[in-house]
Amino acid sequence: MSHSDLLMKTEMAMPRTLKQACEVQSNGLHDKNDIPGMPLPVLKAAGIDLMDHWKEGLTAPGQVSNLLALRDPSLHRLSADSIGALCTLSAIADSTAVRKSAPVIAQAAESTATPQIRNVATAGGNLFQRPRCWYYRAHQFDCLKKGGHMCFAVEGENRYHAVFGNGPCHIVHPSNLANALSVCQAEVLVVSSAQGTEEPRRVPMHQLFCLPEDRLKSEHTLGPDEIAVGISYRAAPHSAHYEVREKQSFDWPLVMASVALDMRDDGRTIAAARVCAGGVAPIPWRMPQVERALAGINVKDTQRVRQACDLAIRGAQPMSNNAYKLRILPVAVSRAVRLAVG
Amino acid sequence: MARTSSGIQNQSGDLDVTHDLPTSNRTYNNVTMDDVTSRVDAVAKVTGRAKYGIDQIAGPTPLVAGFARCPWGKAELTGGSLEAAMNIPGVVHAEWTGEDIGRECQYHGQPVAVVVAESVSAMRAGRLALGLTWDRRDCDHDIESAQPEPPALSEEQVEAINNALENADFVVDAVYSTAVQTHSCLESHGATVHHQGERAVVYGSTQSNYGFRDGLGSALGLPVGSIDMHCEYVGGGFGSKLGPGKEGVYAARMSKQFGKPVWLFCDRDEEHLDTGNRPSSRQHYKLGIKTDGTVTGGHILTCGGVGVGGGGGGVCGHRYNFGSVIRKHVDVSFSGGGPKAMRAPGHPQGMFAVELAMDELAAVAGIDPLELRRMHDPSAFRKGMYARGAELIGWSNRKPNGSQAGPIKVGYGMGICDWGNFKVPAQAEVVIHRDGSVEARSGTQDMGQGQRTVMGVVAAHHLGVPLSVVQAKVGSTEYPPGPASGGSMTTTNTEPAMRVAATEAKKQLLARVAEQQQLDADDLAIVDGNVVNGSGKAIANWRQACAMLTGPITAPGSVGRSDPTLRGQGNSEGVQFVKVAVDCETGVVRVLDIVAIHACGIPVCRKTAESQIIGGVIQGISFALFENKLLDRQTGAMVNANFEQYKIAGADDMPRITPIIWVDPDATGTRGLGEPPTIPTSGAIACAVFNAIGAPVRSSPITPDRVLQAVTDAQAPKGGDA
Ligand SMILES: Cc1cc2nc3c(=O)[nH]c(=O)nc-3n(C[C@H](O)[C@H](O)[C@H](O)COP(=O)(O)OP(=O)(O)OC[C@H]3O[C@@H](n4cnc5c(N)ncnc54)[C@H](O)[C@@H]3O)c2cc1C
Ligand code: SF4
Repeated sequence: MSHSDLLMKTEMAMPRTLKQACEVQSNGLHDKNDIPGMPLPVLKAAGIDLMDHWKEGLTAPGQVSNLLALRDPSLHRLSADSIGALCTLSAIADSTAVRKSAPVIAQAAESTATPQIRNVATAGGNLFQRPRCWYYRAHQFDCLKKGGHMCFAVEGENRYHAVFGNGPCHIVHPSNLANALSVCQAEVLVVSSAQGTEEPRRVPMHQLFCLPEDRLKSEHTLGPDEIAVGISYRAAPHSAHYEVREKQSFDWPLVMASVALDMRDDGRTIAAARVCAGGVAPIPWRMPQVERALAGINVKDTQRVRQACDLAIRGAQPMSNNAYKLRILPVAVSRAVRLAVG
Repeated sequence: MARTSSGIQNQSGDLDVTHDLPTSNRTYNNVTMDDVTSRVDAVAKVTGRAKYGIDQIAGPTPLVAGFARCPWGKAELTGGSLEAAMNIPGVVHAEWTGEDIGRECQYHGQPVAVVVAESVSAMRAGRLALGLTWDRRDCDHDIESAQPEPPALSEEQVEAINNALENADFVVDAVYSTAVQTHSCLESHGATVHHQGERAVVYGSTQSNYGFRDGLGSALGLPVGSIDMHCEYVGGGFGSKLGPGKEGVYAARMSKQFGKPVWLFCDRDEEHLDTGNRPSSRQHYKLGIKTDGTVTGGHILTCGGVGVGGGGGGVCGHRYNFGSVIRKHVDVSFSGGGPKAMRAPGHPQGMFAVELAMDELAAVAGIDPLELRRMHDPSAFRKGMYARGAELIGWSNRKPNGSQAGPIKVGYGMGICDWGNFKVPAQAEVVIHRDGSVEARSGTQDMGQGQRTVMGVVAAHHLGVPLSVVQAKVGSTEYPPGPASGGSMTTTNTEPAMRVAATEAKKQLLARVAEQQQLDADDLAIVDGNVVNGSGKAIANWRQACAMLTGPITAPGSVGRSDPTLRGQGNSEGVQFVKVAVDCETGVVRVLDIVAIHACGIPVCRKTAESQIIGGVIQGISFALFENKLLDRQTGAMVNANFEQYKIAGADDMPRITPIIWVDPDATGTRGLGEPPTIPTSGAIACAVFNAIGAPVRSSPITPDRVLQAVTDAQAPKGGDA
């Protein structure tokens, strides 16, 4: 950012309809009259993460499109299989429909950040918030993610960084919600001018986020003209979210685990399991080896459950200061399994 | 969880709970002892009506000044242009704070230039437009990387140490360390200064209203008597706001230069980087103990990590009798912001090590740590608190170290403190107006201790009127000089001054009533706001009595350094007991319960005193478990200069805290309570964690990674442990 960014005025669009929002997002605020080369507007939901970037001097957008102005009620809808992009984390946590259908989602929303943040933070914003790597967040470190030549975490302070994902950037994905949705076969619904607003594009969770080796400067695959309008998910009544936190609020978890189990009719045997770990990789990190090992196990057989969960660390490559996460990870997974069984 | 019980106790341990008290005011040895009054300015504070220094605008819209700072641990300034900054619309001025291009900066956050502008955004744009470029250098970022020389010991000292250790049955040889803690004041450091030619008006954020003013005289080029200083509310100081600092000085210089008010307050990152801190420590203990519990001595070799500060890293851990101990201390420099006094400077880090060493000695000797403390605590008075604290925390449920099954293990620990009783000159005055209103004034300040409440309660009590007629006023040089709030001495020194002033004001009022009513003044008294005669008959109510005045009464009260009758003698003392739960599979420590018993002489105002205890305990929990100013090992830059990654205990991390004020029957006055309650907490927590898992975590903050390491150590085969 240069000083001229700071003096630049920021314009804010207040789109009322999704169609308007899409237009703004593909053409800018002044419809083709924009200064050539001017970047497209930045989407703002509650703006928590956007303002964090602004205050740190990481961004100073010339144009902002305020999604909170949208009057479309579907953006606030919450049901047993869908979440509107503008639903707040509090609304998700408090929704009986969500809690019954997929407890893991409600629990993940409920444990995020602080009550004040949950009361305004939106589902969409939570999914697309940027990483919390301290080198990324401090302006003087010109690291890979910001177009520089090195990852400062490799030789530096990496206690909160990734143990999976192979770099070259070692962030952990910050979103609680993304982790929980990953075990609910969720899809994110996306609209744009090109796509139209009638038939949103459906992006499954495993295609929504991308590893640094594929894309360094962004953590997701949406284009700058695309807007997430909602999430559809499948019921996961035997599901749970478990977090290990240094501080119990106003902080991100060190490690989190979301688990959804399909149970056989006997109510004791796991038919299939979906397991996703957070705080350990640049994207929500599915654990197929654990999922396979859990399938067919009787949940009362704590030893076999524990053995299956111990596979969680397979393939991990801890950095100089974060091997402790490998101690915590299997514990978090097995506790989530226990909670999911109920 | 909220605090559930509290109260004032005497040595026999009878709980004297608030609602049992018949009246709000009692005296003890002529000192007010109020049990019911709540903080008088609480509503103003939580509704935003209270204006802090950072909120104040002295007259016209001020210019905004800010520092440009070095972004690395060590770096040479290789380029930058003041002119480029001044070309930014709205920027009025830019200057280097020292050498210009070529300057080698020594820590992240060191100011190199100051920019003055018409708005915050213009100032920030100007700061960026300076276009500073840096050549980063390698640097040391903590005590370890600075590789301090081991302290030189003379032959006699080595011999003394060896003798002490040879006399012992067991030896504890351990290195303890504590991280840098920043003051983290919610209101940042700074001031608005308006130089108006012949005089100046200053709104600052300070814990020494008069000290701040006096520190600005030369920057403003004015005699200090021509400077009006205001600081009505302070959002935390903890030792870091005793003088004007570079923020105040630059605001003053710029205001003088431009003849306009200048506002200069730090941002959050600047607060963490450059407004002082509690320095880190490394403490090498080698102590011997006999099976009967006698500690034979040894050595305590300590380092303080003071960054670029020349000193101030001393650790204070002289509390138990450790036999013949050789102590040596060195301060270690590296590329980090220097320290400033912080709430009991040197003590929490010292007692972190002392208490844990005590528990390690107890463990090797197979003695209950409470019993070992009974043997070695030199204070009989403090030992009087032990039984009550042990009972309230449930010490009898304490299991031997590391002996519990299951992943969640409960541990108990304790710690002690004491604090000197510092006496400084202090003045106050009580003004009685003809309409019956009363002002209780002192130019001291309230940084959260509840100074208005204390002064109001004392004045009302000694006048004999309800608190509702008294307005307590602090935070202005319009009022007589009051003490700085450092060293836990605000209440200890303003209480006697206010007592004298109120007593004198009452005397003058009664003299006037006697004169008017042709009565004998010696026969009159004020009871519940009424002037009564010797037989208790009301002569006049408060308003009527004040209406008899021909003008306001202004009665001064002051105490000199050597006025023993007006002050409490002796020290403040305390013990804290802690109960924690450690999750040995995840390493997460949760503090469940803290009983904090503190003696502060006569508690003038119980609720604000309890609030001091609770605040100190919270800061101690935070120090034990979370806080860590972390400098990047590669670049020396602080990676967590914000409130998100610099972790401070929050509401969900709070245990049940039970503050207990222990009354000393021999107390003659008040004693300090600002600092002592933060001294024992972190050490007690470390002991409780040791008790739970069976191996000590010798470094603060006690984070999950360290706990898991200790759990591994505890499971490893080892020799004699209790
Ligand atoms: C102290 C603290 C602790 C926190 N702890 C946690 C935690 O434990 N777990 C956790 O998950 N989060 C945590 N958070 C982060 C917080 O939950 C997010 O910042 C918040 O959810 C963002 O929501 P928002 O609506 O404000 O997003 P915004 O700031 O408005 O947007 C965030 C990003 O998403 C993009 N965006 C927003 N909406 C859309 C959309 N509909 N389509 C496409 N792009 C969109 C924006 O362009 C922007 O890049 C914490 C935050 C703080 C400050
Ligand atoms: S982990 Fe990623 S964001 Fe952090 S320093 Fe490395 S490259 Fe930058």
